[in-house]
Amino acid sequence: MSSGPLALIAELTHRCPLHCVYCSNPVEMQKSTSELATEEWQRVFDEAATLGALHVHLTGGEPLARADLTELVAGARAARLYTNLITSGIGLSEKRLDELIAAGLEHIQLSFQDCRADAANLIAGARSHRLKVEVARSVRRRPLAFTMNIVVHRQNLDRLDEIIAFAEQLQPDRLEIANVQYYGWAFPNRHALLPTRPQVERSLVIVQQAQERLRGRMRIDYVLPDYYARYPKACMGGWGKRLLLVDPAGSALPCHAAGVIPGMQFDNVRQKSLAWIWQQSSAFHQFRGLDWMGEPCRTCERRSEDFGGCRCQAFLLTGDAQATDPVCSLAPLHRIVEREIERSNSNAGNAPPERDTAPPSPAWTYRIDPT
Amino acid sequence: MPPLDEDSRPRLAAGCRWSEGRGADRSVLSPEGAILVKGTGRDILEHCDGQHTFREIVNALAALYTLTDVQRIRQEAANFLEQLREKRIVDF
Ligand SMILES: C[S@@+](CC[C@H](N)C(=O)[O-])C[C@H]1O[C@@H](n2cnc3c(N)ncnc32)[C@H](O)[C@@H]1O
Ligand code: SF4
Ligand code: SF4
Repeated sequence: MSSGPLALIAELTHRCPLHCVYCSNPVEMQKSTSELATEEWQRVFDEAATLGALHVHLTGGEPLARADLTELVAGARAARLYTNLITSGIGLSEKRLDELIAAGLEHIQLSFQDCRADAANLIAGARSHRLKVEVARSVRRRPLAFTMNIVVHRQNLDRLDEIIAFAEQLQPDRLEIANVQYYGWAFPNRHALLPTRPQVERSLVIVQQAQERLRGRMRIDYVLPDYYARYPKACMGGWGKRLLLVDPAGSALPCHAAGVIPGMQFDNVRQKSLAWIWQQSSAFHQFRGLDWMGEPCRTCERRSEDFGGCRCQAFLLTGDAQATDPVCSLAPLHRIVEREIERSNSNAGNAPPERDTAPPSPAWTYRIDPT
Repeated sequence: MPPLDEDSRPRLAAGCRWSEGRGADRSVLSPEGAILVKGTGRDILEHCDGQHTFREIVNALAALYTLTDVQRIRQEAANFLEQLREKRIVDF
């Protein structure tokens, strides 16, 4: 039997005032009327801590859209969980921030869509950039750990140095620069988001130089686009191994995107305890460990390192959730990813904007809000 | 960033704290996870309360281990704390 999860990911709501074109939320969202109540979340926090979880990541959608967020933070701390808020910052007044800190909030991860207001607002589908800069300043003036997250892709990777300089001004402890992962809303938008190989290669040099320059001041984590990697990432640190996600309506998932896989049965915290779910739920068993694997993973020496990659990506790209993640260079269906990369590096891709000219307008699919 | 010197007062960084009541497996929780600190590392970190100077911490450790090679303790503790500062777990 596996030990308990290290962290609980609490997707408090799918409501969000922004519409990011790469949003990792599922395309099929949970309605606000089916959201778990404050007391139901409290039980989930208590059970997660009893199972051994140390951290809770409060996310969404936009967690600030929950009127009871302060209560939830206090409840998570009362359950002795390290409490992290992952937010776009929209709806975070100074007063509310002080209340959250007083309730025990320990870390805030604030997302930005770009360093330039016009480009950021285009990605978010709303005028939000200036507000976020204000929020970042008020966060920095207060005693909690502060991470800035910026998602990078074809349309903004050419100004990575400008993005890093922008972050530097706002003085977070950490900057997480994450290439888009292609699930949720990012999948239909992938042709406008997938960077070119020269963009990726340049970005590595820029990040490394910045890491050296900023050592001890601002830590930079860089998540590479896995389409360009030789081997896949250990998605979620292994299926049902480290993380447990509870969605707004109480379904427990091994991963944000697991809902795309047909036939998956998710148990709900309204009916079952978290311990039962972690140990018995078929969704958590389905790809746990190594037994489900076919070749080439089954006999590959990297199998306990990357667990065969991302199941949701395997399904999205091949139609078969059992398949080796096609980003792996050893995958029988790797040509699917090679084709995407070829497309992205030829003129068929959506060309990144020339510097300092008006942004092009790819036909974006914007994330819509649940009803 | 100022380098660590004798008068620095190292402390856990904002957003980092000791986990509560989990006995011998005491760990420091940070935004990114938990680091289990044992042995010397734990002794060093437990002295980093933001009140004591690095000089005082080194002296306390020397007394704790009844060691005379203070220079070596200072060097090891300094390396350890610099590493943790890069991870944004310690500040001084
Ligand atoms: C889905 S959002 C939810 C919380 C909040 N609305 C926010 O934007 O921070 C969680 C984090 O994932 C990042 N993100 C969203 N879509 C992503 C994708 N396709 N790939 C990588 N990161 C993504 C966001 O920038 C944010 O930091
Ligand atoms: S649309 Fe943007 S702000 Fe809203 S949940 Fe998705 S990533 Fe976060
Ligand atoms: S074959 Fe499977 S286990 Fe081996 S590197 Fe590729 S995905 Fe990982």
